[in-house]
Amino acid sequence: MKVEYIQPFYRATKDVFQIMMDLEVNRGDLRLAKDLIPSREANVIIGATGDLSGSILYSFPKDMTLTMVKIMSGMELTEMDGFVLSALGEVANIISGNAMTYLNSENYRCDISPPHVMFGTSQSLSMATDVALVIPMLTSIGEFEINVALRETKG
Amino acid sequence: MMWKDKYKIGVELIDGQHRELFGRVSSFLQAVQGEGDWEVKLEQVKSTLQFMQNYVVEHFEAEEAFQRQIGFPEYEKHKQVHDEFKSTVNDYAETFVKEGYTQELVQELGAKLMTWLIMHVAAADQRIGAFVREQGGTQ
Repeated sequence: MKVEYIQPFYRATKDVFQIMMDLEVNRGDLRLAKDLIPSREANVIIGATGDLSGSILYSFPKDMTLTMVKIMSGMELTEMDGFVLSALGEVANIISGNAMTYLNSENYRCDISPPHVMFGTSQSLSMATDVALVIPMLTSIGEFEINVALRETKG
Repeated sequence: MMWKDKYKIGVELIDGQHRELFGRVSSFLQAVQGEGDWEVKLEQVKSTLQFMQNYVVEHFEAEEAFQRQIGFPEYEKHKQVHDEFKSTVNDYAETFVKEGYTQELVQELGAKLMTWLIMHVAAADQRIGAFVREQGGTQ
């Protein structure tokens, strides 16, 4: 797990939040985690295969998720229903896709799997990775975390 | 979904159509997420979906014709993105006909439409506007 895999995710998150929600994102201090552990209630996990393989876990607070989808839809939302959770999954999917494009330009070829969204679960998601780098993302509507656990598999 | 001036690409025809598309996707989302029992809302959900779907085809055709007319260099790539999106929407529509309009699946489509449309109009389509400006305007 190298720190340079982090920058594409930060850059993609900044772009996507700005384009979709007009929100600025700043990065908190990176930390290491031994496993993928959801720190918030709404979680999206996306798998990666190719030159880098492993998983990316997006962990959002419930209220922040509702605000994000409210900003995008222009609708008042109070429930974490299928619409809200699917929208969260899509945002994580778009961020991951853009991050993969940036990694691609650094000669890492990777594909991602469709987002898997979970709400209310708090167990650790053991993905048989060595270690995850946790990026806290700070916005005016709340803080969320991206856990990146990728291993280089190209020879 | 709120239309924003930052989505404009500076071509009146396309901006007007994007605005209409945002309006139709919004009507669909409001039908899906509105108060009331799913069974009661269903007719409204189906008609707003159809209304939106028809316009997606009409708009993509018009936008692609405009891109050909101005010699947009990324035409093929952009058309492929349109085609993939149309087939995603058609796949959902086919599943609804076969398996019924379940709330969960319709909500999933609503979320995909919303996020795709914002990203596409606010990012990918901006390249058309940039190209037009590079060429010195539409005329």
